[in-house]
Amino acid sequence: MKSIIQTTNLHKTYDSGTHALKGINLTIHEGEFIILLGLSGSGKSTLLRCLNRLIEPSSGDVTILDQDVVNANPAQLRRIRRQIGMIFQQFNLIKNLSSLTNVLSGKLGYVSLWHALAFNHQKDDVAEAMANLNRVGLSEFARKKTKNLSGGQQQRVAIARALMQHPKMIFADEPVASLDPATADSVMKYLGVLNHEENMTVVCSLHFLSLARKYGTRVIALKGGKIVFDGSPQEIDEARFQSIYGEDAEEVEIR
Amino acid sequence: MNIEKVKKRVLSVILDLVISVYFIGCIAYLANEWAGLSVDLLYVVIVGVLVAVVQNITGYSIGCWGYGFSAEGKKPWMHTFWGWFLVVLIITTFVVGWIIVQVNPYKFFMKFQNAGTIVNGIFSPNLGILSECLAALAETIYLALLATVFAIPFAFVLSFFAARNLMPHTLLGNTVYLIIRTIATIFRSIEAVVWAIIFSVWVGIGPYAGMLALMVHSIAALTKLYSEQIENIDHGTVEAIQATGATTLQTWVYAVVPQIVSPFLAFTIYRWDINVRMATIVGFVGGGGIGLLLLQQQQMLRWHNVGIIIWLIAAVVWTMDIISAKVREKLQNS
Repeated sequence: MKSIIQTTNLHKTYDSGTHALKGINLTIHEGEFIILLGLSGSGKSTLLRCLNRLIEPSSGDVTILDQDVVNANPAQLRRIRRQIGMIFQQFNLIKNLSSLTNVLSGKLGYVSLWHALAFNHQKDDVAEAMANLNRVGLSEFARKKTKNLSGGQQQRVAIARALMQHPKMIFADEPVASLDPATADSVMKYLGVLNHEENMTVVCSLHFLSLARKYGTRVIALKGGKIVFDGSPQEIDEARFQSIYGEDAEEVEIR
Repeated sequence: MNIEKVKKRVLSVILDLVISVYFIGCIAYLANEWAGLSVDLLYVVIVGVLVAVVQNITGYSIGCWGYGFSAEGKKPWMHTFWGWFLVVLIITTFVVGWIIVQVNPYKFFMKFQNAGTIVNGIFSPNLGILSECLAALAETIYLALLATVFAIPFAFVLSFFAARNLMPHTLLGNTVYLIIRTIATIFRSIEAVVWAIIFSVWVGIGPYAGMLALMVHSIAALTKLYSEQIENIDHGTVEAIQATGATTLQTWVYAVVPQIVSPFLAFTIYRWDINVRMATIVGFVGGGGIGLLLLQQQQMLRWHNVGIIIWLIAAVVWTMDIISAKVREKLQNS
């Protein structure tokens, strides 16, 4: 399998002094569905954001699709970013705007500045956005402001927005942590489909082992900014789980 | 002794110096008022400094207490020197203030008949000059409106560069942020009345000077309000748009602007409301409009004309107040 993301000795220390990542060495291959496990504060979000430099790494190297991310200039960085769809725990949609405009914002990495400034979208882009909304089952909500949608619907709009980028991979930062279990599974299902049918690489942080086993092809667990486990979801037994989440942790079955 | 402790000690000495020179100065002022004793300012400073030094070294001072060096520990204030010193200081301040401001309740209650002419004027306004007043009033409203509208684009653009969360934490980013914030603060702390005096000399007395004065003040005020609003936006959206590969300008337009449009409108309407009120005051010092008319009529002691002007100003301010409150309420709920 072709390697698609590579990090070497990646460190991040925040201005506050928190040493969030302590030397991450990681190779992710095309088509993998990676589940990032770990307590809140273990460095999962920081790691995801250091990969596309939403957060600047303190030291170390990141290579995505054979391109040096850390030393990329702003234009190169934007070209790398637009190949990575990203979805977030809080959905991070533009709440006052319609679902359609939100989905269209996924094209920003491709369109000219003046088209974007005028909110003047190409006909093809609008058709594509509608198709993507249809794909996540939300075509009838296209003209609705996203703040009026439910959590699960908002996350699906966010997935449609990511699809507009024609991404090679998807980063998902606890995409289902704000959703109820049933909705969570339906959102994960879309990521699973993208992974299976389009061979899209997914890196997704989660807390639910059941979802990890169902969708993940490989689990990477972080603790205190270091990788403490890297293997298949089936290898995680009670003992491993407790070593990741601490002595008092118990696995919660959500379905 | 570490640096933090030295810093605290220095600050406590400065505080004691200020307090005790002020206190001795108050006593000297009272001695002059009540006993005719004229004390040289030099002696006030010397005595004040001596008192402060003695207090600070012995630990019986407000500064020592404030920075944790008090010789009196954590005793309740009634049992401490600094506590009673503070009480005496507050009482002295009131006494001195009372004398300086020439407070005189007798005059307030017994000399009411002096205001009779004005009250009479208010309740029998001269409707004969109504058309002249309305023209001046229109001037005031328009100048307030233009001052607000012209201020919007400047404040809008500046506010992005004065928002901490949008400026990169680089030398350039920090410098731009600091310069714009500082200039806005300085311009805002200069009252519109002062700007009106400057511009009435610059472009001549009249509504144009008043408009420029309000505009400068509005730019500074709106820049601050706008940028604080930008600092309060949801950062997640910014992150999400950046992650699509958007440029900085695209990110601002898509992730920042939609979040700030309605609060910006609310602030702007509120600003117009303030500007209409300030336009009257600005008129007094050469800014034109109803304020200028009021000043002229007052100086000629035409109290019936002053009466009609006061009614009109009250009506406009009241109307603006209601409209602006209603619109802002609508915006907040949308």
